[in-house]
Amino acid sequence: MAGIRIEHLYKRYGKDKQTVVNDFHLDIKDKEFLVFVGPSGCGKSTTLRMIAGLEDISEGEIYIGDQLVNDLPPKDRDIAMVFQNYALYPNMTVFENIAFGLRLRKLPRHEIEQSVKRAARVLEIEPYLNRKPKELSGGQRQRVALGRAIVRDPQVFLMDEPLSNLDAKLRVQMRMEIIKLHKTLETTFIYVTHDQIEAMTMADRIVVMKDGVIQQIDTPETVYTTPNNTFVASFIGSPQINLIEGKIVEDIPGSGKLQFQTSRFLLPIPQEAARVLVHHNKVNKRVTLGIRPENIGLEGLFSDAIITGAYKVSELMGADRFLHLDIGQDKLLVVRVNAYYHCEENENIRIVPDMSKALFFDADSGVRFKI
Amino acid sequence: MVQRLLGLRWKGSRLQAMDGFQKLLTLLMIVMSVFMLLPIVYIFNHAFKPYHELFVYPPAFFVREPSFQNMNELLSVTSRSTVPMIRYLFNSVFISGLAVVFVTGVSALCAFPISKHKFPGAKLAFSTILLTLMFAPEVIQIPRYLVVSNLGIMNSYFGHLLPMLAMPIGVFLLKQFIDQIPDALLEAARIDGANEFFVFIRIVIPVCMPAIATVAILAFQNSWGNVETSSLFMLDDEMKSFAFFLSTLTNNLAGNVAMQGAAAVASLIMFVPNLIVFIILQGKVIATMAHSGIK
Ligand SMILES: Nc1ncnc2c1ncn2[C@@H]1O[C@H](COP(=O)(O)OP(=O)(O)OP(=O)(O)O)[C@@H](O)[C@H]1O
Ligand SMILES: [Mg+2]
Repeated sequence: MAGIRIEHLYKRYGKDKQTVVNDFHLDIKDKEFLVFVGPSGCGKSTTLRMIAGLEDISEGEIYIGDQLVNDLPPKDRDIAMVFQNYALYPNMTVFENIAFGLRLRKLPRHEIEQSVKRAARVLEIEPYLNRKPKELSGGQRQRVALGRAIVRDPQVFLMDEPLSNLDAKLRVQMRMEIIKLHKTLETTFIYVTHDQIEAMTMADRIVVMKDGVIQQIDTPETVYTTPNNTFVASFIGSPQINLIEGKIVEDIPGSGKLQFQTSRFLLPIPQEAARVLVHHNKVNKRVTLGIRPENIGLEGLFSDAIITGAYKVSELMGADRFLHLDIGQDKLLVVRVNAYYHCEENENIRIVPDMSKALFFDADSGVRFKI
Repeated sequence: MVQRLLGLRWKGSRLQAMDGFQKLLTLLMIVMSVFMLLPIVYIFNHAFKPYHELFVYPPAFFVREPSFQNMNELLSVTSRSTVPMIRYLFNSVFISGLAVVFVTGVSALCAFPISKHKFPGAKLAFSTILLTLMFAPEVIQIPRYLVVSNLGIMNSYFGHLLPMLAMPIGVFLLKQFIDQIPDALLEAARIDGANEFFVFIRIVIPVCMPAIATVAILAFQNSWGNVETSSLFMLDDEMKSFAFFLSTLTNNLAGNVAMQGAAAVASLIMFVPNLIVFIILQGKVIATMAHSGIK
């Protein structure tokens, strides 16, 4: 049981010192389920591998518990890791795969047997203990990899996209099992994924990364409702948040009431958001408005603020349907409606955004305005 | 009925599933393997030919009246020599055994760091090893002699072994194979608590078994047929190898009728262990990465 402290961690590769992890600073609490999420190549794996000791640290410090582990080899860090391609030892049976770490620790034979059996029972792989990895399916292999990690009873679990080789259905199932595992084991988990749904469903806290830089560290709810910038806003959530370019104007000069203006429509800005925008001196300046598809309704659900958009395409997602409307912006506006909703191509649809949920970002840097 | 006896029916059904190109390829392969088989069949037949058959013209491929005459001749020749044949045999078996173990060991120990540990000069080291593949054996005879004599291991088993120990082709084969092992496999073992030696013994070697088996075959052939170390570095007759002994038997035979029979049996005896080693190890050679469940 231990927390992890990562202090100003850097990783640079090659002669030209290309920085792939940039000033990574993070306190991971004991027993926390932390998820690193970000697009491909943003440095998630590299960070995880530095924590594991598989990659040298260019600069900065990593503490596991109170111990500085920068110069400790992986085997002395008391961690377990699950890899994307399972990395099972092909020459050993499932039993031997799981027992490998225990044998290296010179545990008595009966203890090894007990631990392996117990882990196999938890993961429901008891019938396969005598098989070789090549005789297992992908999901079974991943369970064995998990088993290999849990028998060691480490201080920290590290997982690098453990589910990305599984099919969609199995992925959902394994997701739940890993969450259960975390609950029963009560150990610190660090989980790497590029799948924001995995991050949202599993994490206690999410670390969103881009180009080696942390964009935001927060609970899934906070990251979703108040993203730090447009990158986080669009990366988390599916379908993506709507980002609309526009300008802040005063309703009646001197009244203090602000409106969001595009070439086609005007939207009122609630008091609180208006205060923040004034604080940042954005009146008569360009900003980006962000609003999620579920915060836009069809006419009649909310009060004023009506946008008219021409219907282009729709996506049916079971209970919901997402309409893509042309509202005169570069990108189509996505609106969530009832699955039974029907309309014709290019039909004009009147929609009402819930402006209390609207987010305002700097038009250039993409940073969200807050006080 | 005849078809069934020859197993042609089974083959026929397999053939039907092939397209024209595959059929042609299969045919070519069959012709090739028959061609490759000829010398082996010849060696076996030749060894059992009585003298009058050894010298018939045109030479006959198959033996007509098999006899053990040649065997007896070889035995009588060897019983006349001061060192018993069994001693030469022991030397060869002993050296070849050591060679198989140590050549595979050294090659793997060399290939593993070159393949999986990024140290400065790894590429240079590997290129140098590859370069030595191109040296003709004659080129390195004198340097070898100097090394062996300066080490003071002339006339010892170590003098047999050392010159054979560095086998560039073995390093090359193993390096190519180890390259294919995913890094994650070794990293998993390291995290599980294995040190580098353990990773090597418990993961790399078992996973590389096909390549190891190939290198073992090469090492065996290399050492079993080796006469160079015996003629250059061994002073006493009882330290020399079986291959060397047989070559002395057959060397003075050019244009000589006597002892041709013994020579024929000798080549058979030289050949059979190669065949046995190959048959034992070939099952392992054929297993490939695809079958090992890594990917
Ligand atoms: N050995 C290396 N040498 C040079 N650059 C590297 C090396 N390993 C990784 N990189 C670079 O570091 C960056 C981060 O890689 P990393 O593997 O951490 O990405 P990731 O976030 O895990 O992406 P993915 O989701 O695709 O796994 C990438 O741009 C990659 O090109
Ligand atoms: Mg990765």
